[in-house]
Amino acid sequence: MIDVPSIADLNLTVTFPAVFLALFTMVVLIVDLFIPKDRKIRTAHLTLGGLVVAFVWNVLVFDSNQTALGGMYIADSFSGFINFIALTAAIITCFLSVDYLKRTGIEQGEFYSLLLFSTAGVMFMGAASDLIVVFIALEILSIPLYVMAAMRYRDAKSEESGLKYFILGAFASAFFLYGAALVYGATGTTSLPEIFASVEGIVATDSGARLYLVLGAALIFVGLGFKVAVVPFHMWTPDVYEGAPTPVTAFMSVAAKAGGFAALLRLMVIALPELTANIGDTIAIWQTTIAIVAAATMILGNFVAIVQTNVKRMLAYSSIAHAGYILMGVAAVGTIGVAEEATRAALIYMLAYTFTNLGAFAVVMALEKDDGSGTQIADFKGLSRSRPLLAVMMAFFMLSLTGVPTTAGFIGKFLLFGAALEAGLVLLTIIGVLTSVVSAYYYVRIIVNMYLEDGEGDPAEGATQYLNYATYAAFAGTLIIGLFPFLAVNLLDTMMIAGLF
Amino acid sequence: MVEVEAFIVLSAALFILGAMGVVLRRNAILVFMSVELMLNAANLALVAFAWHWGGMDGHIFVFFVITVAAAEVAVGLALIVAIFRSRQSINIDELHLMEG
Amino acid sequence: MPEALSVGSSLSLTTITLFLPMVGLTILLFMNEEKDKDAIKWTAFGFTIATFIASLLMAFNFDVNDAGLQMAQRNDWLPQLGISYFVGVDGLSMLMVLLSTIIMPIAVMASFRAGVLEERGRSKLYYIFMLLLEWAMIGVFVVQDLIIFYIFWEVTLVPMYFLIGIWGAENRVYAAVKFFLYTMAGSILMLLAILYVGNAAGTFAVPEIIAGVQSGQLTFVMDGVFSEQSFLFLGFLIAFAIKVPIWPLHSWLPDAHVQAPTAGSVVLAGVLLKMGTYAMIRFNLPMFPEASVTWAPVVAGLGVIGIIYGAWVCYAQTDMKKLVAYSSVSHLGFVVLGIFSLTPQGIQGATIQMISHGISTGGLFLMVGMLYERRHTKLMAAYGGIWKAMPVFGGIGLIISLSSMGLPGLNGFVGEFTILLGAIGSGVLGIGFALVATVGVILAAVYILKMFQAIFMGELDKEENMNLPDLHWQEIAVLVPILLLIFWIGLQPSAWFDMLDATTASLIAGIADFAPEIIVQAGS
Repeated sequence: MIDVPSIADLNLTVTFPAVFLALFTMVVLIVDLFIPKDRKIRTAHLTLGGLVVAFVWNVLVFDSNQTALGGMYIADSFSGFINFIALTAAIITCFLSVDYLKRTGIEQGEFYSLLLFSTAGVMFMGAASDLIVVFIALEILSIPLYVMAAMRYRDAKSEESGLKYFILGAFASAFFLYGAALVYGATGTTSLPEIFASVEGIVATDSGARLYLVLGAALIFVGLGFKVAVVPFHMWTPDVYEGAPTPVTAFMSVAAKAGGFAALLRLMVIALPELTANIGDTIAIWQTTIAIVAAATMILGNFVAIVQTNVKRMLAYSSIAHAGYILMGVAAVGTIGVAEEATRAALIYMLAYTFTNLGAFAVVMALEKDDGSGTQIADFKGLSRSRPLLAVMMAFFMLSLTGVPTTAGFIGKFLLFGAALEAGLVLLTIIGVLTSVVSAYYYVRIIVNMYLEDGEGDPAEGATQYLNYATYAAFAGTLIIGLFPFLAVNLLDTMMIAGLF
Repeated sequence: MVEVEAFIVLSAALFILGAMGVVLRRNAILVFMSVELMLNAANLALVAFAWHWGGMDGHIFVFFVITVAAAEVAVGLALIVAIFRSRQSINIDELHLMEG
Repeated sequence: MPEALSVGSSLSLTTITLFLPMVGLTILLFMNEEKDKDAIKWTAFGFTIATFIASLLMAFNFDVNDAGLQMAQRNDWLPQLGISYFVGVDGLSMLMVLLSTIIMPIAVMASFRAGVLEERGRSKLYYIFMLLLEWAMIGVFVVQDLIIFYIFWEVTLVPMYFLIGIWGAENRVYAAVKFFLYTMAGSILMLLAILYVGNAAGTFAVPEIIAGVQSGQLTFVMDGVFSEQSFLFLGFLIAFAIKVPIWPLHSWLPDAHVQAPTAGSVVLAGVLLKMGTYAMIRFNLPMFPEASVTWAPVVAGLGVIGIIYGAWVCYAQTDMKKLVAYSSVSHLGFVVLGIFSLTPQGIQGATIQMISHGISTGGLFLMVGMLYERRHTKLMAAYGGIWKAMPVFGGIGLIISLSSMGLPGLNGFVGEFTILLGAIGSGVLGIGFALVATVGVILAAVYILKMFQAIFMGELDKEENMNLPDLHWQEIAVLVPILLLIFWIGLQPSAWFDMLDATTASLIAGIADFAPEIIVQAGS
């Protein structure tokens, strides 16, 4: 009755980056047992090695456009790009963590295994073409993060952050799961391409199945909305971001977000674009809802960020706002014909945000004291005198988050606004543009503190060798995408690399 | 197909009860149990639909959910224990070191 | 979909001029703040001079009879979206580039003796920002692609923000943030309009878009006052109007000027404000001809209000830097009036006025700065009889003041007179616009003379002013090019007009295709 697929049918080569990373996690876990407590840097080196292997392999199978694991895993330029983002984020986070963990007294080998596991989750998320895989990937991504958030276990804030994240994360998973169940009930399949194939028929018949489908899609959106922190499912973000150890916050703000959006885009692009009110409509039924959520997210995130005094909290609200911008791209996907452009815009935006935000957190960590203090905005006073290079880079990251040209942030925003306009979402685009101006206010305030205010200037003792590598990498990424955006777009667009093999 | 709808109504009721539990309960353990209730409501729906469609997907899904739920329990209980140790309480209203 | 324009992709003189400041900036990055103090400033100065020479080469290569783009270059930047690095100059761009490259060495040299640089230090950063500013300004004037234009446009904000914020006066942080947010808010709406136009045209190359508009392949609907084309027109215009600034969007200007260091003010008034008026001519008129005609009376009306308002506020000032700042509002009102008279004279006059204003107002700001370095106050009441203490300075001051108020024979007169001619001959504006603007000319004489009298004339009765040293050779060196230009444009303006003839003629002809009424009286 059931065909047992041969190993060759599984097509494992293209899944290698993600599968390898998941397996490598176990290796790190075991090897770490034999590494003495005071030489945990070896674990970090090992982790980096694994990440680099996955990274290189990802480049080799990039955009091979094949399915694997019996159609549950799809390796195309989309998943390749998500892998690229996830691995970049993980590598930079690894550099960020080495010295930070040591000086704050939470250096444990498990940290790196958890980081690898979570990264693998993001990668599976991007490549999943089946609801079951999406769900499992979501959990692989989330569960390690709950632990990592609570890693600083002597600090009540960190524990609190972990528990909050856990409860709301599990709550969100339940929503996602119930939504997936309803979609399965409506279509009789969990495979995304097959769901896509049956949606049009369901729309045409207007049966009870349609109700299941719409309800299921809504619940899935709620579940993923929690993960990527869009209004009104954002309440956990500031507390979790503030309480978690900073490298975890940095990783969470980019990788978890990338994973969540990857799944969201997959679902919206592959499975549900045809979910229209009537046959022949060019706008998906969910577009308006998502557009409203996106608008609310941009407005709330940006306005609340203004009043924050703690940089980690400010960046938390800013990450909510940025989720709103990416969601604008998701909404644009709902106009048939714009899907490709909008997906591209959202992906480039995510890459730009990854570099920029990791960079910003790197500088925050440089200023952070061993006890977790030193992350107030006022602590940035005079940084341009005490650490000119660090200040220049931080200023650049802030301008990138604002979306000022020559930075990666501008390219992302410009592509997104363009896609949204093309999708006919004029009002949403105007809101996006105006909230960008609002955001300039609080990002510029950090620059004001660093350059224009008088002050002694923090020595930024956290800026150790490894952390500096991470900051430079993030800075280079932000600058290169800003000046030569065609590199990133080509990476996404062309078959060049895959064509070589 | 009256039967399948009956199952779905039941599972929806369980799901809503669970969601209300998460929102209204203040004890972390009970909140956590409510989440489990929601997961199991979804399991029920999955099984019912699988029976309706006569396919294996739903059943497979349920097995994975059970596994994942177990993993969540492991992490969740550990976190709750850690919190209890440090402040002798697992009332989630008392988790407000960071506000603003 | 407009046809693609074929332009060479090899290195052009324009690119060389554009990137020379960047070369200088890169060299500065590797210098040591403490050890190479003098080397830093002379390197910065050297590169502004080199850029100036490069732009002179461009001017010599420039063919005044060719209305199209010259020394153009085009390379792909983001081909998937139709964006290219596309530079080139026509008469208008050429003059604006020259203005920038003339003002920059003056501004850099004027910084050599700035007390604020001694006091706050960080001179390396200062000169880096100056060069970055020059790069971005030249970029604004030479790029022919909307997105790249937007990039340069926004980048000018960053160095100016730091120049005001770090080396400004007491209220510098407030002024810098206000400047940044105000102008950014305006320009980000322009980004929307740019994206809209680019989506419709399938390209962001301005010449291709204009060709598309003129051949009718690309139309923006214009039915009634508020329609597609009007919104796009306004999207661009508001960004530019804030930069100019047109009344009532000017409130950032006095703050920015008063707080900025002298060189910052010189560049701000001399070049940055002109980016707005330049862009109106470059983008608004040819891309949205019908909307330009419809909205011309409104915009020109705001310009005229600005002329009178600026002059009126000037008269009430006691702070000389504020007075010069408000005089910019008034002078640029003339420029706006000239542009939206939609006549060749009006636009040529506006361009000449932009240059004249850059030179005279730049000169006035330099003078204010020189007085401030000596007495540390900008209040006119603190001076009086300065001519007796500083005769050289007084003589130069008289010429610059007269030039600013538009005395015939000096540069200010040429621009204002041509603008008034254009406004009178305009097919879209009534005679009233020109009449009110003429009142502005008289008011300008009043406030400039009032300032001159308060500072230079009268008795040298204040103890502190008795022994003020006259100008240092570096200060004279800064002012001499300004004097030369004042006389050159004033006495021999035809060379400048020649540059513009072909460009303005083809521009107006393009608009006339859509709105023939604008050339009714052009011949008179």
